[in-house]
Amino acid sequence: MVQVTRNFQSEAPLHVHAREVLLDAIDQGWSDPGKLSQSAARARILQGEALESISSHLKVPVDCLEVIGEGNLANHYAISGLLKNEFGFIHSAIDRKDVHAIARTQSHTTQLNVDLNGHIISTDQATEREIVLALQGGNIETGVIQPLADIARRFPHASIALDFTSCGPRLPLPELWASASFDATSWQGPSGIAFFAVGKQARWTNPLPHVDNTRAPRSYSLPLLLASSVALDAWIQEEISESSRLRLLSARVRKTIADSVSDCDIAGDLDSSMSHKTSISFLYVHGEELLRCLETKGFSVDSGSACTSANLQPSHVLAAMGVLTHGNIRITLHHGVSSEDVEALTQAIIESVAELRSQ
Amino acid sequence: MIEVNSIGKRCPQPIIDVARAIGNIPMGESLVLLADDPATLPDLTAWSRMTGNGIKILSETNFLVTRQNQSGQVPH
Repeated sequence: MVQVTRNFQSEAPLHVHAREVLLDAIDQGWSDPGKLSQSAARARILQGEALESISSHLKVPVDCLEVIGEGNLANHYAISGLLKNEFGFIHSAIDRKDVHAIARTQSHTTQLNVDLNGHIISTDQATEREIVLALQGGNIETGVIQPLADIARRFPHASIALDFTSCGPRLPLPELWASASFDATSWQGPSGIAFFAVGKQARWTNPLPHVDNTRAPRSYSLPLLLASSVALDAWIQEEISESSRLRLLSARVRKTIADSVSDCDIAGDLDSSMSHKTSISFLYVHGEELLRCLETKGFSVDSGSACTSANLQPSHVLAAMGVLTHGNIRITLHHGVSSEDVEALTQAIIESVAELRSQ
Repeated sequence: MIEVNSIGKRCPQPIIDVARAIGNIPMGESLVLLADDPATLPDLTAWSRMTGNGIKILSETNFLVTRQNQSGQVPH
């Protein structure tokens, strides 16, 4: 029986430094920073330091940054605050499902298709309407990175809402943006803490019913904010060397599997993808069986296949790209993963596909 | 014309069914696949790209598949 399951899912344990801080912050940062007590003053100082540090790493002015407890909600605030129903709303076919849900509430929506590499296909938009463009930095399923500056240039008059919840600080913010969303889990911070930023020139209004001029509810967990700040500090330092190491490991995974397994379909080109994400589909293989087979060999991965999703629908991202949706696995390489574990996973995938195809 | 009925079957079975059946028809000939799994259209499109065989969408559940590739792995 395999005792240890090696994790290649998109979720990762909290960064070890952040875990230490979180435990301490539960003792130190419990008070409401808005009150006058001594404990509140201490909480206020910790909050201010964390926000300054996070804004510096994300390259967003601190007075533009808002904290919220949920990544998808951050994205919703970022987009919906810019939108009015008479505006045109443009988004890509591989955006998060939440973005598609926002599009369904709008009267004037354009969906941009993508090519086999997941890149938005060029399109001319001649319209008199004001436009909000939802633009994803990196795709959480495939790792595909959009050429943000090029796309932004195609829509010179659009208000751009950036979805950086998956890529986080891996990508630089493009020059022009009206709003942006981030999720602490993208830098191995805690789940349940996310951010959105509103550009100084943006015409953004709170999309939810509200009682004052705050842009977001202030009910987020201060300890999680502090842990998220420490995780970001540590993650940014590691990323300097880890980014290139993970890229080499990803390249080796892709080449070894493509050379060893017939009829596999790798989503996107590594040169235009985040280095830590790989999505591969295997023809004639059942995705759920592949996941279970790998789990019995001691490896946890994700899947975009219909049989592994709650609603039994195939991944809308893979379908939009034209990549095979069945027999799909998604591999995420986290900081600190050993090359031996990645090699062992690669061999386990090759063996599992052969086993399942021979049944 | 051969009809492959994969109605009610979940992915990847419709694609496996069509891959098995197409090996039994001559080059340039076609068969009809009936399948209602939501993954059939995207997966048949990807299968066509990967194997070199042709497809034509007749309806949401009705696909014309033309053998255009001599070789190719046939699943068990």
